[in-house]
Amino acid sequence: QNMYSGHCELQSFAPLTESSISQSTMASLSEEVLLVVKKVRQRKQDGTLYLMAERVAWGPEGKDRFTVSHLYADIRCQKISPDGKAKIQLQLVLHTGESTTFHFANESSALKDRDATKELLQQLLPKFKKKANKELEEKNRMLQEDPVLFQLYKDLVVSQVISAEEFWANRLGGINNTDPAVVNNKQEVGISGAFLADIRPQTDGCNGLRYNLTADIIESIFRTYPAVKQKYSENVPHNLTEKEFWTRFFQSHYFHRDRINTGTQDIFSECAKQDEKGLKSLVIQGVKNPLVDLLSLEDKTLDEGYGICTTLPSTSNANKTVKESSNSAIIKRFNHHSAMVLAAGSRKGVFTSLLTASSSETSSTDGNSRDSDFFQPPVKKVKLQEAIEYEDLQRENRPKTVALNLKKSDRYAHGPVPLQSQHYTTSQDIINSVNYIRHEMMNYKPNLTEVLSSTAASSAIAALSPGGVLMQAGAQQAINQMVPTEVQGELKHLYVAAGELLRHFWSCFPVNTPFLEEKVMKMKSNLERFQVTKLCPFQEKIQRQYLSTNLTGHLEEMLQTAYSKFHIWQTRRMMRKT
Amino acid sequence: MKLNIEGLLVYFPYDYIYPEQYSYMLELKRTLDAKGHGVLEMPSGTGKTISLLSLIVAYQRAFPLDVTKLIYCSRTVPEIEKVVEELRKLMEFYAKETGERNNFLALALSSRKNLCIHPEILHANIVVYSYHYLLDPKIADLVSKELAKKSVVVFDEAHNIDNVCIDSMSVNITRRTLDRCQNNVDTLQNTIQKIKETDAAKLREEYRRLVEGLKEANVARETDIYLSNPVLPDEILKEAVPGTIRTAEHFVGFLRRFLEYLKSRLRVHHVVQESAPQFLKDIFDKVCIDRKPLRFCAERLQSLLRTLEIADIADFSAVTLISNFATLVSTYSQGFTIIIEPFEDRTPTIANPVLHFSCMDPSIAIKPVFQRFQSVIITSGTLSPLDIYPRILDFRPVTMASFTMTLNTFNVCLCLVALSSKFETREDFAVIRNYGNLLLEMSAVVPDGIVAFFTSYVYMENIVASWYEQGILENIQRNKLIFIETQDAAETSMALEKYQEACENGRGAILLSVARGKVSEGIDFVHHFGRAVIMFGVPYVYTQSRILKARLEYLRDQFQIRENDFLTFDAMRHAAQCVGRAIRGKTDYGLMIFADKRYARADKRGKLPRWIQEHINDGSLNLTVDETVQLSKHFLRQMAQPFRQEDQLGLSLLTLEQLESEEMLQKITQIAHQT
Repeated sequence: QNMYSGHCELQSFAPLTESSISQSTMASLSEEVLLVVKKVRQRKQDGTLYLMAERVAWGPEGKDRFTVSHLYADIRCQKISPDGKAKIQLQLVLHTGESTTFHFANESSALKDRDATKELLQQLLPKFKKKANKELEEKNRMLQEDPVLFQLYKDLVVSQVISAEEFWANRLGGINNTDPAVVNNKQEVGISGAFLADIRPQTDGCNGLRYNLTADIIESIFRTYPAVKQKYSENVPHNLTEKEFWTRFFQSHYFHRDRINTGTQDIFSECAKQDEKGLKSLVIQGVKNPLVDLLSLEDKTLDEGYGICTTLPSTSNANKTVKESSNSAIIKRFNHHSAMVLAAGSRKGVFTSLLTASSSETSSTDGNSRDSDFFQPPVKKVKLQEAIEYEDLQRENRPKTVALNLKKSDRYAHGPVPLQSQHYTTSQDIINSVNYIRHEMMNYKPNLTEVLSSTAASSAIAALSPGGVLMQAGAQQAINQMVPTEVQGELKHLYVAAGELLRHFWSCFPVNTPFLEEKVMKMKSNLERFQVTKLCPFQEKIQRQYLSTNLTGHLEEMLQTAYSKFHIWQTRRMMRKT
Repeated sequence: MKLNIEGLLVYFPYDYIYPEQYSYMLELKRTLDAKGHGVLEMPSGTGKTISLLSLIVAYQRAFPLDVTKLIYCSRTVPEIEKVVEELRKLMEFYAKETGERNNFLALALSSRKNLCIHPEILHANIVVYSYHYLLDPKIADLVSKELAKKSVVVFDEAHNIDNVCIDSMSVNITRRTLDRCQNNVDTLQNTIQKIKETDAAKLREEYRRLVEGLKEANVARETDIYLSNPVLPDEILKEAVPGTIRTAEHFVGFLRRFLEYLKSRLRVHHVVQESAPQFLKDIFDKVCIDRKPLRFCAERLQSLLRTLEIADIADFSAVTLISNFATLVSTYSQGFTIIIEPFEDRTPTIANPVLHFSCMDPSIAIKPVFQRFQSVIITSGTLSPLDIYPRILDFRPVTMASFTMTLNTFNVCLCLVALSSKFETREDFAVIRNYGNLLLEMSAVVPDGIVAFFTSYVYMENIVASWYEQGILENIQRNKLIFIETQDAAETSMALEKYQEACENGRGAILLSVARGKVSEGIDFVHHFGRAVIMFGVPYVYTQSRILKARLEYLRDQFQIRENDFLTFDAMRHAAQCVGRAIRGKTDYGLMIFADKRYARADKRGKLPRWIQEHINDGSLNLTVDETVQLSKHFLRQMAQPFRQEDQLGLSLLTLEQLESEEMLQKITQIAHQT
């Protein structure tokens, strides 16, 4: 009895080919419109659905504006109503959790319309999804990790001095494209060992089972079972639709445990064979760590015919019951599955190489990750040494060290500049000096004839204390003590914000493109806005508090320098133009 | 450090020493002093091997005339290689401390492929090899028979030594054996014919030798040069080879007759069990073969093969097997049983007759070793109860002691979970599900690797299938990858390596394995490779086997060991082996979970080694799955704290000064648990 009548509710799939998108392209309006579907109802209103290059939009009939518009990047996934339902619908779920439902109402072609929309969205969404998520995540991370940046963001973006885009413009560069090393070093995310468990079928109530697939699960299947991926690219879309493919996959004996009777018409019977082959080649290769090699564990000295239990379970398949061989198929399958999951997690681009190499008996299909650095030839010796080592029986031979105990780590971070290498003292030196000083102190004898008189000493101490005669010159110290911490903090934020704006400003020079021209103008007005909305109120505030106004002198100076630079540039430009 | 062990200077290649190591050496030295045998149990990971080597090498240097050689036998190839590495370390330490180059010769044999060492073995001070070189008469005769009497023999990892002994003396004969034997006999016949035409003198010379008898061997044995061979009984050394098989052709004819008889015996339709005397009577009645020529069979065949100058003896393994059988069956009227089974129990429709000639008395194979060598040390991590080994191996030890691991804090958390798996109920759905839940819960709380052992392979297969159907395995996969031992060694090795890789890279894995299997006997799961071991059920041997039944009967009649006692002892030593896989040293830690309520019973608990028993307390008995999880969480949190040498020093780790303090020496004498 076939229980798997197979509905696959498709949520989103990996991108297909570029060419299939342009087929349905219809150029018009100002934005590129990829698909227009009429008679689509939204909130019980008839209207038209537009799929454009970067967004999906819907406008009510007879009006020339959109009342619904979502960027693809904002959409988390699409859902469709199951086949056989009276209403043919498509739902877009946004990252915010909101959703919009479209009802395809054209009597004759509703299903076709819906499927066309779905297919196209299916191709479009993943492209935007990854980018959007990654960027958003990265921005979030940066703000969370860097409080100064966060403050700056609040000062400049939230208070609308500059736009968010401007703010991120040259900060995100590193994330998006420039530094390939950073991108490549990113740790690859492995596959969950239980991804097959996540596709537990649900009954749909009418003698069928429903499997929910997501792009992640499909990727996991492909990475773990490259043979399936190969079948997929061989058959979809020319022989089978995606849905048919996955329906057959779930119906196949390959997916189910008793792989022993894979019929010939099952397209996955070949996959089972390939897996078998992969497992075999993996086994034949043997293991690199001699301590786990069961084959060479025993010094096999009993000849054939000797011994007690030579005739225990014969391994020939002939006299195994069906149950037994299905049991051992499960065990084989778990070992294979785990090996493949492990390999997929520890290798890069596994499955692309698997695809090309799956027919030859090369390493890739076998799921062996070839951690070659880990197991090198003298591995046996190393492993043996490791095995006989009793680390706790050995005295530690490292030189004595002083533990670094930081009570205030910020003092450490802003503390003395690093010494020249030749001045560097080792822990041993420090210990020696401490001992030396201790020794000195023990033998210290004050030379009482040459000490200061007590009055002279106390006046010298007074002169050197805060407020003393000799301490007057310390102007910086004055700021510290004269200005309340709250004002200090504010000043600090102003400096950071001004610095950020100025950085943007100065980075425009030399102004040699129209883009930079535009930017430098904008930056100048940003600076002015900053002065008016941020700096001036602050100045007024400190005046009100009767604090020295020259606190902001340096800031103003910096702004003035920028302004004059701008004026010079502008006058030159005017001259050139005239 | 340099130790003073009751007046003996012992070089010990470490800066510190465990108290139990000192105690172990003390007992060992007393055994050597007494020139007697010893049974010493000490858990793995306490540096047993280096203690043994240090002491015996020191003894050899101090009393070169009393102990001339150390014969160190271990079980697996990696074990043997580890011993060699430790020996190397010791020798380097000697060289460093004494400043003189070492003139010690040590020799390791780790595969019969490299067997070409006869002269060296006589000169080596230390020989390291596998049990079989000493216990299997076929090999011992080639390799070990001239080893000096004043040798010290050590059997390390000796908890299964009785089975090795039995294996080496047992023979199985199938139709295939007989067919190959037939071919061998034909080849012999042809070769004899050829030689007769070309070099008849050679055969006449052999005949003359055989009339002389085996005088030479007899002289050698009487003058104590050779280790005696249990396949070459004393009686035949004094007699000439009987006339009926003295000429080559007669002997071949004799073999043919014997072969035909065996073929007829394999044509049975029901199971036959008989004793050796019954077999001899039957063979005399049916084909008039006497006991006497049978006894000479093995020796006569060797002589013939030598005379015919046959190079590749391996080709004649079948006829060698048959003639060894002939000699054994006619030599030992006791200690063996003959069982002829027309088919395997599982497949009664497929004829596959086998004649089992099973040794039931391990003392037969090891007797020459105990008789010949002045000191034989039986040692392992699991030898409990200690008194059973002297009984089944039939020897009188001068020392029997059990040592435990001294620890500052306990690095073992032992849980006895009250689940049932009695043979009658173990197919029960609820039992299987409970087991599954336990494993699932543990997979969520234990970091890195978990090893679970089942009582048999078939049982594990069934459980895995049920767990698969119940969705338990899928849930476990959310926490860890699953690897499973199979009956194919290569496949299992692969799974093992992947398992280690998964533990190494932080993903974590579970290995499902079988007690008595290769993994349980030979693979260590140190540190993160085994943070928890779960023993599902009590690993009783499959009791329905006829051979086992015969052996149990023999044990009862000959050694007064009750069937149940032996079965429990056997199950417990295997359970201990399994759970001991995960704790391989003092810096290691792990959970040991016995998932069967029968372990809580005194008769089971009492047969576990002392180093396991001492972790059992009221709080660890009869736990539910939930309690086990709570206990484990608590334990693992504690164990996650760094292990510091300072904390151990003075308690479980000693400097030389600490060792020499009066108080510590007092304490140490109490470590050894004498029986």
